[in-house]
Amino acid sequence: MIYLFTALYCEAHIFIKQFNLAKNQNATWFQEFYNETIGIRLTVTGVGEIAAATAIGSVCSIYKPTQEDFLLNVGICAHTTKKDGIFLCNQIIEKTTGKTFYPDMLYCHNFSEGTIVTGMLPWNTPNNNRSIAEKPSAEILYDMEAAAIYQAGIHFFGPHQMIFLKIVSDNGIVDKFSKEQIILLMENYQNSIIKYIEQLFSITQRRKGHTKLLCQKEEEFLETFCTDLHCSKAMRDSMRQYMQYFVLTKTDYISIVQDMCQKNMLPCKNKKEGKLRFEEFKRKLF
Amino acid sequence: MKNLKENYFNPFFSHIYIEESILNHTRTQQILAKFPSATVVKIVHYKDVFCRNKQNSHLQHNTQKLILAAKQGTLLYKGAPVCQSFGNQYFYYTSCIMNCIFDCSYCYLKGMYPSANIVVFVNLEDFFAEIEQVLANHPLYLCISYDTDLLAMESITGYVKEWYSFATKQKHLKIELRTKCANKSLIQKFDPIPKIIYAFTLSPQVIIETYEHYTPSLSERLSCAAELIRTGCPVRLCFDPMIYVPDWKQHYAEMLEQVFCMIDLQKVVDVSVGTFRISQDYLKNMRRQNSESAVIWFPFQKDGGYYHYPTDLMKQMECFLTQKLEQKISKEKIFRWSTETETQQL
Repeated sequence: MIYLFTALYCEAHIFIKQFNLAKNQNATWFQEFYNETIGIRLTVTGVGEIAAATAIGSVCSIYKPTQEDFLLNVGICAHTTKKDGIFLCNQIIEKTTGKTFYPDMLYCHNFSEGTIVTGMLPWNTPNNNRSIAEKPSAEILYDMEAAAIYQAGIHFFGPHQMIFLKIVSDNGIVDKFSKEQIILLMENYQNSIIKYIEQLFSITQRRKGHTKLLCQKEEEFLETFCTDLHCSKAMRDSMRQYMQYFVLTKTDYISIVQDMCQKNMLPCKNKKEGKLRFEEFKRKLF
Repeated sequence: MKNLKENYFNPFFSHIYIEESILNHTRTQQILAKFPSATVVKIVHYKDVFCRNKQNSHLQHNTQKLILAAKQGTLLYKGAPVCQSFGNQYFYYTSCIMNCIFDCSYCYLKGMYPSANIVVFVNLEDFFAEIEQVLANHPLYLCISYDTDLLAMESITGYVKEWYSFATKQKHLKIELRTKCANKSLIQKFDPIPKIIYAFTLSPQVIIETYEHYTPSLSERLSCAAELIRTGCPVRLCFDPMIYVPDWKQHYAEMLEQVFCMIDLQKVVDVSVGTFRISQDYLKNMRRQNSESAVIWFPFQKDGGYYHYPTDLMKQMECFLTQKLEQKISKEKIFRWSTETETQQL
């Protein structure tokens, strides 16, 4: 599953259209769109750090992301020198605290990379000092959500699962941009973003199953065997450990158990006998 | 995961994170020059990147990043109980590089460090200064390639050369350089000196192929060791850690045949033997990261905070190897790790 977060509906528009996302009518606090078949859940967080962090906390508490999932934050931002372009953030600085965060850069992409500063106010407003651009040569992106999304997201995702894609919208004053202009801007980069998301889908698919130790069938076998042995909690944990190893080494443990059954060694009469049989089982394997 | 690697991962060292304070350091610039297309990210402290929460070192190993930093605080550590001192009284180790370009599934670094990215400390002079201070009080047996494979990183850092120059000037310093590297051209640059022991970790080829990813083959390692012996360098052979696999006896016997065939054991400094053991905390971390590698999912026995193979199996494996080795090398030169004492000379 890809958990996609945008601050504004107009930033989400291209994804809703492209992936045929349906609106979740039950979502009370945030606008939510999803397509379970392809594995995408989009949330419109609202503008600013608090709104973004609240949305992440809310969505992730409900859906509980797994190790195969991604958090993707896409949105417009300002840039200290450039007037356009799309950037993947390799460094996120929270302006208020000075804290810096680093999403892992594991996967190939065709975007430029950059540092983003997240502030509480739009960059170009009179109340917002422009200290981030103190160094004249500093090429820095500026938004109002990324640092908060990282900090909230790290409770549910690893740094290798969080991706921040930002599109430069001139000077970053959202008020001066109409919704239509933002939709147009997003559409300019639609192809490259969608291509990247499709790559993330493939990664998600290929990683599926790599994190599970025992499959359903193996779990059932473990349960039956442990019951037959009258296993205590400690013995059960130990047996699980053995099973995991046998599965990975493709050891034929089933025929050993079948052999024990044929010799009427299973099921055991009591815990004491179960303990003996368990030791016997282990001896046959190493 | 093979396809995932082929298609999606960034190349190795696609990103280099550099502490701002050492941006203009000569070694920083030398290393950077070797990666002209890498993306450079300036950082305040290496731990900001290296010690992030919830990193997946298993995935990171597919596309390791380089972190260049200056090491502060303690630079020398006393040898750990699970490591062999080879009879040396003042046994220390140091880490001028953290992590390894090789990807051995059983490596304790995967449990010890929160990240698979490689940290290179560029302030080698500080390491040398601290060693000189210690040497003023007593001799030193120093392992410089425990938390990395220094020789495998030589083409990037040139650190073996620097250690070599330093060691030649010190009277009471003995260095162990542990490696799985087999790059003869690197080693041939150095004249043999008795102070630097090249310690080759050896495993049966089947274990190399299954668990020691990106490492040279057994025959390449042996060929490199043989070449060093020929030129007069002190060489140690480490059959440690021995890894359990089905038919382990056959695989280890075949490995020894190859060793005996390519190496004159009378000419090696010594050999070490030990089965795989690891601290429980490290193993816990490794299992959390990797659910696919049988070597770390073995149902180990736990004693005193360490996991090891069941005692019978452990003894069986170590005795098998030592008995075969005793046919070619004197007992005094065989060091076997044991839980009872730090080292046990057979």
